[in-house]
Amino acid sequence: MLNIDNILKNVQKPSAYTGGELNSIVKNPDEVKIRYGFCFPDTYEVGMSHLGMKILYHVLNLRPDTWCERVFAPWIDMEEEMRKTSTPLFALESRESVRHFDFLGFTLQYEMSYTNILNMLDLAGVPLLSRDRGEGDPFVNAGGPCAYNPEPLAEVCDFFTMGEGEEVINELMDAYIEWKQEGGKRIDYLKKIAKIEGIYVPSLYDVEYNSDNTVKSFKPNCPEAKEKITKRIIKNLDTVTFPDKFIVPYTNIVHDRISIEVFRGCIRGCRFCQAGMIYRPVREKSYKTLTEDAIKLINSTGYEELSLCSLSTSDYTEFPLLATELLKVTEKEKIGLSLPSLRVDNFSLDLMEKVQKVRKTGLTFAPEAGTQRMRDVINKNVTEEDLLRSARLAFKGGWTTIKLYFMIGLPYETDEDILGIADLAHKVVEAYYEVSPNKKRPPSVNIGVSSFVPKPFTPFEWAGQNTREELRRKQQLLKNAITNRHVKYSYHESDVSVLEGIFARGDRRLNRVLIEANALGCKFDSWNETFSMEKWNQAFINAGVDPSFYVRERTYDDIFPWDFVDIGVTKEFLKKENEKAKDASTTPNCREKCSGCGANKLCEGGKCSVKI
Amino acid sequence: MLKYDFYARYRKMGRAKYISHLDMVRVFNRVFRRGRIPVSYSEGFNPHPKISFALPLSVFYESECEIMLFSVTEDLSADELLNRFAPVMPEGLEIIEVKAGKPDVKHLSYCLYDVYCNLPSSDELAAFLALSSMVVPKKTKSGIKDADIRCDIADIKLEDGCMSMLLSAGSNANLKPDVVIKAMNKYINGYFSGDCEYLRKSIYTNDMVEI
Repeated sequence: MLNIDNILKNVQKPSAYTGGELNSIVKNPDEVKIRYGFCFPDTYEVGMSHLGMKILYHVLNLRPDTWCERVFAPWIDMEEEMRKTSTPLFALESRESVRHFDFLGFTLQYEMSYTNILNMLDLAGVPLLSRDRGEGDPFVNAGGPCAYNPEPLAEVCDFFTMGEGEEVINELMDAYIEWKQEGGKRIDYLKKIAKIEGIYVPSLYDVEYNSDNTVKSFKPNCPEAKEKITKRIIKNLDTVTFPDKFIVPYTNIVHDRISIEVFRGCIRGCRFCQAGMIYRPVREKSYKTLTEDAIKLINSTGYEELSLCSLSTSDYTEFPLLATELLKVTEKEKIGLSLPSLRVDNFSLDLMEKVQKVRKTGLTFAPEAGTQRMRDVINKNVTEEDLLRSARLAFKGGWTTIKLYFMIGLPYETDEDILGIADLAHKVVEAYYEVSPNKKRPPSVNIGVSSFVPKPFTPFEWAGQNTREELRRKQQLLKNAITNRHVKYSYHESDVSVLEGIFARGDRRLNRVLIEANALGCKFDSWNETFSMEKWNQAFINAGVDPSFYVRERTYDDIFPWDFVDIGVTKEFLKKENEKAKDASTTPNCREKCSGCGANKLCEGGKCSVKI
Repeated sequence: MLKYDFYARYRKMGRAKYISHLDMVRVFNRVFRRGRIPVSYSEGFNPHPKISFALPLSVFYESECEIMLFSVTEDLSADELLNRFAPVMPEGLEIIEVKAGKPDVKHLSYCLYDVYCNLPSSDELAAFLALSSMVVPKKTKSGIKDADIRCDIADIKLEDGCMSMLLSAGSNANLKPDVVIKAMNKYINGYFSGDCEYLRKSIYTNDMVEI
């Protein structure tokens, strides 16, 4: 165990580094065959809020032969202390260096965390590039939503997992133990797992480029590597193991509560949304299982808040039943129930009334676009009247604060659509003065505007991304159009959005950029206090890579760097949706009518679980 | 609602010393729920368990004598409460005893600490204690200010491997041993404490009755 007592005295949040929290799992290293470091490339407060980590920690530690521990990116004050004292990156449970762990598994939740992966490997003393690692080095691997385009990290990671980790991770561990017994070389393990469905080993594939830097070909270079990597999914979410214990941190974390997973996937099909495509098909848990999960977790953690996790809570078919059951439990135990991504109607307002009792904090709506034409382009099946009706209901019920989320820089957008955002916000203020029982109190309509980032595996994967100048022009246009003092406007930094877009649709050449960025000290790029566009500009120059190449509009003839991944949803479907977007023509949700996205082939017998 | 007052004496040792005072409220809130202890809640918009601590403990300090005051809404015995606490406490926090009623925190006046560090010689310590004034920077409510701490040092003794310090504590005057160490480093010629470990041993009333 490393002695870090003295350096902890010089950091802001010592309890983020001590381990020993309730329900953390400690095993005897002599009694396990596999040491697995589950690495979250951000701070403890962010990483500990992540449900996927809790699930995989639980699944791996169910194995007597495996000890999975947590590893986070130390915040800059802690990193400085670690480097000063030559303290290597360590796992929280054992407080041992991860240098000789068997696996270091990173979760890729957002592109702007990639430099933290390199920084963590560097702090651990593990070679940054896969080809420089040898026998005895850990297998560096990654999974999560950004792994569906793994190419920007293809030279860093030894392998990637496509799809839902708990479905495949035991196969990887079993193969490791077999490989150890066989006494094979490093490459033998990689070739062995390349045969497992859902596993991508980038070193087993060669990429050729055209003279304009687009991909010419992408081919396996050995018989073990598959042409196509199909994502893995849990077929029955209701019976799959879910943690009965969560680690309870001492320090405040971002989402400090119990989170139960109601369903995976989404029936909606918004055309900008990657989560809505990559997590298909929709699979639900029964309300009975969810209530049991909740009770077990309340008893084992003592948490004072319970939250539901899904892409759109209102689309859960057993929602009224679940809400009733959970309210029984939470009222008795004096626990707060939070219901994110809920559509506002009479039922949900009634429910929020019950849940929140007196505190009426803000309600959030996501119309995403300012005009009906634009909402049809992105297939956000919400009308202005839907939104105003919901807002009136909320105002009548005594709410005064409403948050509205929008995007700018969407494909096929005109200035009229930008101005429509201001218009809609003004209509919401008018609605307040029409119906509010307490007109003396002014309303507060907050509009948050983010910049659209085209993502792989969406109908907009071909779209050109607005330049930062264009985004800034649109932000100003909107700012000037807002004339009502009850409307507050905030927007995201466009530099970060453009960079995110570059990595989202990037190729292998970006590995060089990451290495350069790491050398220049880029880290925590999603944090304002550490992000530096100057350093990133320098990194692109040093690597000899032109960033504007990645924001360009693509053609249907392009071979995408991520084309070898099969997420179930077909490219044909995405093309069709993109064509419909051009005509502002909408697609019904999965429960109204099946649109033949292709994700059903991942289900048992090819039968989609969504009931029409 | 019925209300039965209790207080629990507990240890805060090892890794638990990194838990901040503010975080302790949240820790106990969850302990009560895990242990099915029917703690009394505050009234109002945002009800929370009504608990308080006899004397805040700094981060990095260990303690053998922390006191947390709470009340419950059912008529339970102190033994029963101890049994409910024991299995649900996080690492490093250990309930030593539970007692009915309220401790005499109103008269809390002194606190005894053990400090593990490089020790001064007995002559050096005697000369230090003979000083009539020791001025060092001290954290107050209005920022860090120079303060004379001499009158808040009741006694310092050399023990086997550590120094035992009896210092003023409570709302009127409160002195922490790390400030005393600062003074020793400043006033004892050629002395350097090095890294220190602090352990709170016991707290007393103005009549030196252990609370």
